Amino acid sequence: MPKIAHYREKCIGCNSCVEQAPDRWKISEADGKSILIGSKKKGEVFVTEIRMDELEANERAARDCPVRIIKILK
Amino acid sequence: MNKSIEIMAPAGSYESLMAAINAGANSVYFGIEQLNMRARAANNFTTEDLKKIVKICKEHNVKTYLTLNTIMYDHDITLMKKICDTAKEEGVTAAICSDVAAMSYAKEIGLEVHISTQANVSNFETVKFYAQFADVIVLARELTFKQVKRITENIEKEQVKGPSGNLVEIELFIHGALCVAVSGKCYMSLATYNSSANRGACLQNCRRSYKVIDEETGDELVIDNKYIMSPKDLCTIGFIDKILDSGVKVLKIEGRGRAPDYVHTTVGCYREAVDSYKEGTYTEEKINVWTKRLETVFNRGFWHGGYYLGKQLGEWSGIYGSKTTKEKKYLGLAKNYFMKPKIAEFQLEAFEVKVGDEILITGPTTGVIQMNIESLFKDEKKVDSAVKGDEITFPVSEKVRPNDKLFLIVDVKNDKPN
Repeated sequence: MPKIAHYREKCIGCNSCVEQAPDRWKISEADGKSILIGSKKKGEVFVTEIRMDELEANERAARDCPVRIIKILK
Repeated sequence: MNKSIEIMAPAGSYESLMAAINAGANSVYFGIEQLNMRARAANNFTTEDLKKIVKICKEHNVKTYLTLNTIMYDHDITLMKKICDTAKEEGVTAAICSDVAAMSYAKEIGLEVHISTQANVSNFETVKFYAQFADVIVLARELTFKQVKRITENIEKEQVKGPSGNLVEIELFIHGALCVAVSGKCYMSLATYNSSANRGACLQNCRRSYKVIDEETGDELVIDNKYIMSPKDLCTIGFIDKILDSGVKVLKIEGRGRAPDYVHTTVGCYREAVDSYKEGTYTEEKINVWTKRLETVFNRGFWHGGYYLGKQLGEWSGIYGSKTTKEKKYLGLAKNYFMKPKIAEFQLEAFEVKVGDEILITGPTTGVIQMNIESLFKDEKKVDSAVKGDEITFPVSEKVRPNDKLFLIVDVKNDKPN
């Protein structure tokens, strides 16, 4: 299964990932940065596995991230 | 002039902050977290830094302005309020805002508001509107000098006051980068890379070179400057007298992304220019010296006067990056400083350094020290030069701290086209 890694600290809260893959991303009302739903923190990075049918939307989220902090690991 | 003139410097790092203070800035502006125009910068400050910055500035009697000037979405409001609350609690002088949500909340909690260039205030009626929130308003960088003057005169005439009860003060950018678009209205980076300038993530693609090609024939248009969207940097050192006479109270230097030596040199030059004007010794001769000094730090070539003097467009940079006449080469790190004899010890990690060389020392507490090496020692013996690997000592009149960086300053041969 593919994985997503999210380097959350550098997020500028633009909301693009939420627009592209709303089932996997939401914005924290507390600090205005995006949250990778279902992820676990490993060091500075948030990681989760995703289903194949989620891949396309999340690839768009990674492509549109202006600060390039979303990595898809296939 | 019945009130002192304020020079406001950018502080994108502790090194730049100290450089600004030591060079004579009256105030600094900085951003924390992601709601500021340098959100994507590598070394953005955090809330913890805010406390430290305010403490340092208070010790030096320097005002602090927090930039809170991106476009704001609903999900940013909690963070924005948290930042304003912290700023108020820690005693930040004012928040620089462009979104009404931010200025409205700041006013509500009694935090002074300044209006950002992102709001591109270009006329007196807008000044009157923002005066309900703000005591200081920066005007759009794209105004002409006549337009600026008319606004300051009208404030006086109509007695437009801010929440403090004092007349609204006008701030002007006096040095640094200009934008291809009217500030706050550029969507180029967003449209091409989904990376919004107005969320502090400008990728500056306007700064690159471009070709103009006729799609029908494939013919390329011959243009003498391919940097057709990259304006030169604003420089007002030659007419600071006109700016001060116009009633502008706050002089702002652009460049939170710039190195500490840029901050040190720009603040130093404009400080001297303002003081010279006050003393009646503002001369052509001095202007030439300051201009030469300003050319030694980051610049895209100077557009002397910018839009303020109403010059025609066409002042394009002609180069990618800086046109500086001097560049820095990293030499090594400080190991020690001996207070009594005022001697600094460094480990050389690259290049060679000689007696007579111009050097730069930067550090988060030190700020910037710029000097020439008068004498040089290796293993306590006097030498003329030292190379990579050597441990050296030499006299430095100001205190140097361990891990401060040492740079060699060398001339740049700029033969790129204008």
